[in-house]
Amino acid sequence: MKPAIHVASLRKTFTARDGSTRTVLKNLDLDVGAGEFLCILGPSGCGKSTLLNVLAGLDKVYDGTADVSGGRIGYLFQEPRLLPWLTAEGNLDFALSSCRVPTKRWEQLKSRYLAMTGLSDYRNYYPHQISGGMAQRLALVRALCVEPGILLMDEPFSGLDEITARRIRTDLLTIWEETRKTIVFVTHNAYEACFLADRILVMMGGAFEQEMRVPIPRPRSYDDSAVFELSRDVIRAFGDGMGRPTPAGRWPGNVAHGWSATSTATLPPA
Amino acid sequence: MLKVISLLAAVIFWGLLSLTLPPDIFPGPLETVKALWGEIAGGRVGTDLVMTMLRVVGGLVLALLLGVPVGVLMGLNRRAEAVLDVWVMIGLTVPSLCYAIMAFMWFGLNEGAAIVAIAVTAAPSITINIWEGVKNVDTKLVAMARVFEAPRSTIVRRVLMPQIYPYVMASARFGLGIIWKITVLVELIGRPNGVGFKLFYWYQLADMRQVLAWTLLFTIIMLLIELAILKPIERRIFAWRPEVAV
Repeated sequence: MKPAIHVASLRKTFTARDGSTRTVLKNLDLDVGAGEFLCILGPSGCGKSTLLNVLAGLDKVYDGTADVSGGRIGYLFQEPRLLPWLTAEGNLDFALSSCRVPTKRWEQLKSRYLAMTGLSDYRNYYPHQISGGMAQRLALVRALCVEPGILLMDEPFSGLDEITARRIRTDLLTIWEETRKTIVFVTHNAYEACFLADRILVMMGGAFEQEMRVPIPRPRSYDDSAVFELSRDVIRAFGDGMGRPTPAGRWPGNVAHGWSATSTATLPPA
Repeated sequence: MLKVISLLAAVIFWGLLSLTLPPDIFPGPLETVKALWGEIAGGRVGTDLVMTMLRVVGGLVLALLLGVPVGVLMGLNRRAEAVLDVWVMIGLTVPSLCYAIMAFMWFGLNEGAAIVAIAVTAAPSITINIWEGVKNVDTKLVAMARVFEAPRSTIVRRVLMPQIYPYVMASARFGLGIIWKITVLVELIGRPNGVGFKLFYWYQLADMRQVLAWTLLFTIIMLLIELAILKPIERRIFAWRPEVAV
């Protein structure tokens, strides 16, 4: 099957004012299959957000190939990015009309996703009148109700308190299992990645370092000890803090968890 | 409530202060109001007030038409900013009296010249305000709109403009404050009627009662415009904004 996202030899370089250049994406190759939940895990500054911006079409200056063919893109940013002068419903309408979704479908889409996220009663509230967690859920509704084939998510829950974040992650998995959208989810949180993903790509310094498939069967439970153990192994693999180079030979039970080197990062999804 | 108390206190203070000088030189509130009432009752207020208001409104509209587009352009375009910022500073530096003299000398002693002089004086301040506002636009919201495939015109209309409105509103309000001062000056040197003309007329007759009466009249009118027109508009447009509790 044709992948929903096909990236080949993607390079991105920033030029500083003094003329020096910094390569933030180094020859990335990536295929994401339709309906796959991919997490890209890496420390801040590793290039994950830059990659998402290229995929979303926000950044058009790069070398190589970045084809997105799996339908319209929905994007969930790190912050809700709601228009503060519009109500919750007004924000959804803004997205629906921008994406030219036929008006007669609006109501059905809005009520469906508002109900899924428990926001049905908050249509007429302004963003400043709801909590941060609700605002982010509303942003999720906005991303979903334009019926994207692909959802790009840039550390969307990192600014929320843990309890709220947990609940939304669980909501997200429920919605994903129902709708099977292709998701590329960027995070620095190993536990989150292990809980959510079919496949995890570890990104460091602008390159994919490792790839693994998450062997935990679905539906998953957030408290599953398998998620915990797996995330522990992942964190160990990166040393004490992500972002530091991992000493050679410290990769954990590669075989057991299916770690593999990046040469196989373009394997078709399972 | 506090507003009323502070106004009352000011009137009392004025009354006490006026006792230090003879009433011909520094009339108190009572005498000023009496003089003002005499003018109003005698029907000598209407024409001058209306002419001044027309010049104020005309000047404000023209100043916004000049100042807002230039400010938006400077906020959005770095090259425009580099070229224009010197000119805005120059425009801001030239005294309003110079603009008024130039306008009357070049375009003649007419309403057009008066309004041009008023607008040109106020426009640079409006430009600076809008320019700052546009620079503060949240580009993250623009990126959001682009992800949702919003066309450029929609982004301008529904994402950029709402962020600029508060600055336009603020510009209109303080523009009004500057403009009425300029208008009075312009009337003084080049118009045969208006509040400025009257002030100068009574000044030449050394009638301080009338000078203060006309000042009071205009102050009250401007306060009414602020409270009865601008504040409610602002409240309507910016109802979405949270109240700031400090």
